[in-house]
Amino acid sequence: MKLCGSEESQRLMRLLEDALAREARLWKAPVLENDQIQGSDISLIQYQEVILWLREMNAAFQFCQETYALGVCVLNRLLATVKAQAKYLKCIAITTLILAAKINEEDEVIASVKDLLAQSGCSFSTAEILRMERIILDKLQWDLYTSTPIDFVHIFHALLLSDHPYLPLLAAAQKRPCFQAELWTRQVQHCMACHQLWQCKGSTLALAIITLELETLTPDWFSVFIELLNKAQIESSEFIRCKEMVDEYLSSLRVSLPANAVYIFNSTYVTKYRSLGPEPKQVAGWYPKDRPRRKRSGHRPRSRREREADEYYDGFRCLYDGIASEGSHGDSGNVGVTNQDVSSCPPLQPHEG
Amino acid sequence: MKFGRGAEKETEMDELPYVKSRSVSSLPCSELGDGSYGETPQAHWFHTLQVRRLRVHRGRSNSDPLGGKSFQQEFQWNTGLQFGTATSYLNLEKLGEGTYATVYKGISRINGHLVALKVIRTKTEEGVPFTAIREASLLKGLKHANIVLLHDIIHTRESLTFVFEYVQTDLAQYLTQHPGGLNPYNVRIFMFQLVRGLSYIHGHRILHRDLKPQNLLISYLGELKLADFGLARSKSIPCQTYSAEVVTLWYRPPDVLLGSTDYSTALDIWGAGCIFIEMLQGAPAFPGVADVFEQLQKIWAVLGVPTEENWPGVSQLPNYKPEWFLPCKPKQFRDVWKRLAQLPYKTEDLAMQMLLAIPRERISAQDALQHPYFNTLPTPLLQLRDTVSVFKVPGVRLEAEARDIFSPTRRIKSSLVPLAKCW
Repeated sequence: MKLCGSEESQRLMRLLEDALAREARLWKAPVLENDQIQGSDISLIQYQEVILWLREMNAAFQFCQETYALGVCVLNRLLATVKAQAKYLKCIAITTLILAAKINEEDEVIASVKDLLAQSGCSFSTAEILRMERIILDKLQWDLYTSTPIDFVHIFHALLLSDHPYLPLLAAAQKRPCFQAELWTRQVQHCMACHQLWQCKGSTLALAIITLELETLTPDWFSVFIELLNKAQIESSEFIRCKEMVDEYLSSLRVSLPANAVYIFNSTYVTKYRSLGPEPKQVAGWYPKDRPRRKRSGHRPRSRREREADEYYDGFRCLYDGIASEGSHGDSGNVGVTNQDVSSCPPLQPHEG
Repeated sequence: MKFGRGAEKETEMDELPYVKSRSVSSLPCSELGDGSYGETPQAHWFHTLQVRRLRVHRGRSNSDPLGGKSFQQEFQWNTGLQFGTATSYLNLEKLGEGTYATVYKGISRINGHLVALKVIRTKTEEGVPFTAIREASLLKGLKHANIVLLHDIIHTRESLTFVFEYVQTDLAQYLTQHPGGLNPYNVRIFMFQLVRGLSYIHGHRILHRDLKPQNLLISYLGELKLADFGLARSKSIPCQTYSAEVVTLWYRPPDVLLGSTDYSTALDIWGAGCIFIEMLQGAPAFPGVADVFEQLQKIWAVLGVPTEENWPGVSQLPNYKPEWFLPCKPKQFRDVWKRLAQLPYKTEDLAMQMLLAIPRERISAQDALQHPYFNTLPTPLLQLRDTVSVFKVPGVRLEAEARDIFSPTRRIKSSLVPLAKCW
């Protein structure tokens, strides 16, 4: 397959359209009512616990991240489709993960159901899991193969690589093209455990995470972002709401990048910035409001492209501020409460720049 | 809950028995919602199977012996029966035994269609086999004339049966029936359909991973359908590695034989290239060896031993052996497979582009459809909607094969055909 740039991006567009169509057909999230999932006695806290537990199990079983994401998507769809009782939640959850593994993992990776159960430390019998498996397959009509937020991270990432190879974050990743996507994938996984973010589709969530990063890394972020937003046909107010929540959630979690991430950033992009501006901190941490472009603007004459980006940005900020102030106040109270419940995420070590 | 019996619809169904055929949810909603069939929305569901056949205007289909006539008006089969239950189908005869299932020919008591019933063995300890889950969930999203159609799923505590459209034969049987290589004209039609099906699934980022003649169903008209998606999987864009233990050895590409696990759609293209040669030649392209290394030797004997110069990175692959450096020069395909020498060069050219050792250089399914080899087919073929069979295009039909072991006399007749044209 010899692909030139435009062919590659056409191919990616078809993949994106296909993933969006699948999401439109199958994506479903449970509705919340008085801090419970509507029609059930499952509380938000129980739900978040079980999602975090699934992530642990996914790691313990050595499944890949896509499996976890698919498992959570299936679980959400099931909870939105049937009235489940809290006492069955764990059994449902582990079964969705096993189902996701059957779809996504290679045969040789999947241990027997019995071994998985033993490893998970839960007390369900094989028969219970298999009965649950049958129920889930039937309730969801065997239609499990949905698009996950991680799929969208990969597609958007590939689109960026193909259409904007000059972007610094991507130039840095040339040697390890998956590295950047890997970081975003981790953030997606954190966000999947956040109940405010349930209501965001995978495509919206993935784009929100990527945009937050683009903002900190390139002055051109806005035009790049608008391009992705249009390609993904995401409604902008929905997107802005989601991005606000992701921003708050991630900064409240103080999600740390893995140690080597900081190193990689330093070695490529940050060093470039050091020569221009004094604050490498902004690159390593989650400070989306601290846009390096603003700091940098005094240091050299700005290109026409940057001026355009500025105009874009200012226009966008008006829109952003308007909608954000309408939508996010109600939610912001909750974020603080739930943070205390989510303790498994390591705190961010402030970068010693 | 049975397949398709939406819980919220349960009460409704008691009053409207035909809502039950809603279970053919394998058909896309868009096909059902255009209002041109039936008077009520429910009637759309009822007519699902027929609607599809009417829309594609098939002359006759394998699973629809009555030629797509909407015979519901004159004859009610049994509207009391529902999809998703075993009593709705009659087993007629055993067709074959697969690795994880037994396939029977059957008939639907709901609408009289012939069906293939794939009875899947479920292990009591492991539940539904992963192959079955993959096959069903992938096929749910695939609607294409060159992909086998999954009608229904019957899932009970004791057994699991997939109900497929019935297709008479497969390419393996067809090759056995017509030994010595197929009619090159027919090869082109089969090949076009195979590549068209692959282009469709690859566009949906699905790898089949088990292409071989047994998994290509052939209808009596010559419609080719990809089947057996039990090893298939979806491919997220980068980074993921897969099992190297895929594809029957004969159809496995050299990169995967060498142990590469980051393969992509080029995997299926190699298999399709092998099948291309096999249809022309009447014998497998790289047959009959015991293990991975012998299989590689067979391939090197034609393509030449790869080197770091012509395939950068090859020596890093797990199964690479330096002793292969003993020279093995690439050969002309036409010297290895004699039928190619009798055909225009573009045939050999397509085969060569599909059977390139380096996976990223192999032609994509989408590009292959545009290859000059297919130029002689009517141009409307490239504009067909996904669900329309190539045999809907005027002028597309199979020609007689030169040899038929079931009717040896045909050999004489068909050899007269070219003469008749000359007169």
